[in-house]
Amino acid sequence: MAKELQLDDNGLVARLREPSTCREAFGEVIKLYSEPLYRQIRRMVQSHEDTDDILQNTFLKAWQNIENFRGDAKLSTWLYKIAINESISFLEKERKRRGLSLDDEESNTIALIHADTNIDGDELAQKLREAVATLPEKQRLVFNMRYYDDMKYEKMSEIMGTSVGALKASYHLAVKKIEQYFADSD
Amino acid sequence: MKDILTKVNRNDGMTVPDGYFDDFAARMMAALPERDWEKPQPKVMPRSMWQRVRPYIYLAAMFMGVWCMMKMFDLMRADSSGLSIDNNPVMTAALGNDHFINDYFIKECEVNDYQLMEELYETGFDPSAYDDELFEENADSSAEIPETPEFPLSKI
Repeated sequence: MAKELQLDDNGLVARLREPSTCREAFGEVIKLYSEPLYRQIRRMVQSHEDTDDILQNTFLKAWQNIENFRGDAKLSTWLYKIAINESISFLEKERKRRGLSLDDEESNTIALIHADTNIDGDELAQKLREAVATLPEKQRLVFNMRYYDDMKYEKMSEIMGTSVGALKASYHLAVKKIEQYFADSD
Repeated sequence: MKDILTKVNRNDGMTVPDGYFDDFAARMMAALPERDWEKPQPKVMPRSMWQRVRPYIYLAAMFMGVWCMMKMFDLMRADSSGLSIDNNPVMTAALGNDHFINDYFIKECEVNDYQLMEELYETGFDPSAYDDELFEENADSSAEIPETPEFPLSKI
């Protein structure tokens, strides 16, 4: 995460604002941010195919609203916001489409993790994914950004529009629930 | 719990198909719609001198036309007052002269003798009162008296 924050430079933003260099600069944005955004989305929706669709929608929305990006926030913050909103919208749509309750969704997510062929982790890592999948949506987001991306609470606060204190509390609760999940499964 | 988290690699273990991100960037760039500022702007042809001054020329011509029309109406009004009979002393004198009326005006209007005689009869004219006078005038001449005497307008 620290890597892409460093890439969020003023030069790229300036080129995005210039009509003649905008498309070329956006191409660089895609190359720089597609992987971190992909991982963030994938941890939410689990399926590679769904992640691919959401990632495309994320960049399309960013492109369509590029003139509204004023540079007040960092480029990465703005892109993460779009990606997270797209992920949450997708999960809500899926829930409505399938008529799933929150509990059903949890078991559905675990089923997706088991069915996922694009994995390269040990049993413990797989179990942690399952534990994270049992978390409420917001706690899952906070845990993913803090644990996997090592994101600072201030940055998370900008992306999610929540206070740092609330985020810390949310992460603490998430860790407790994961701990409980491991204790119950042993 | 801390033990578990330290044991688990921070890599989430999720993999992607080979070359996915390179392919994704290319696909994404191709899928980006063209924005307004990227569309080629239509070429604006420079306007010629005539195209620039044409509206002003037309406007000036229109004003000239209106001015000419008003001037013409003004001249016509002045001429009509000059043509009035009351303002023309020659016409007034001519119309006051009986000889002129009889010799030119009535003739010009092609009033024939019959119409004149009819009008005279209506006003109580008696041609027999002039018979002697006519005979005396004709007695000196060798000319024969016509069966249907003519009445010269100048004698009436």
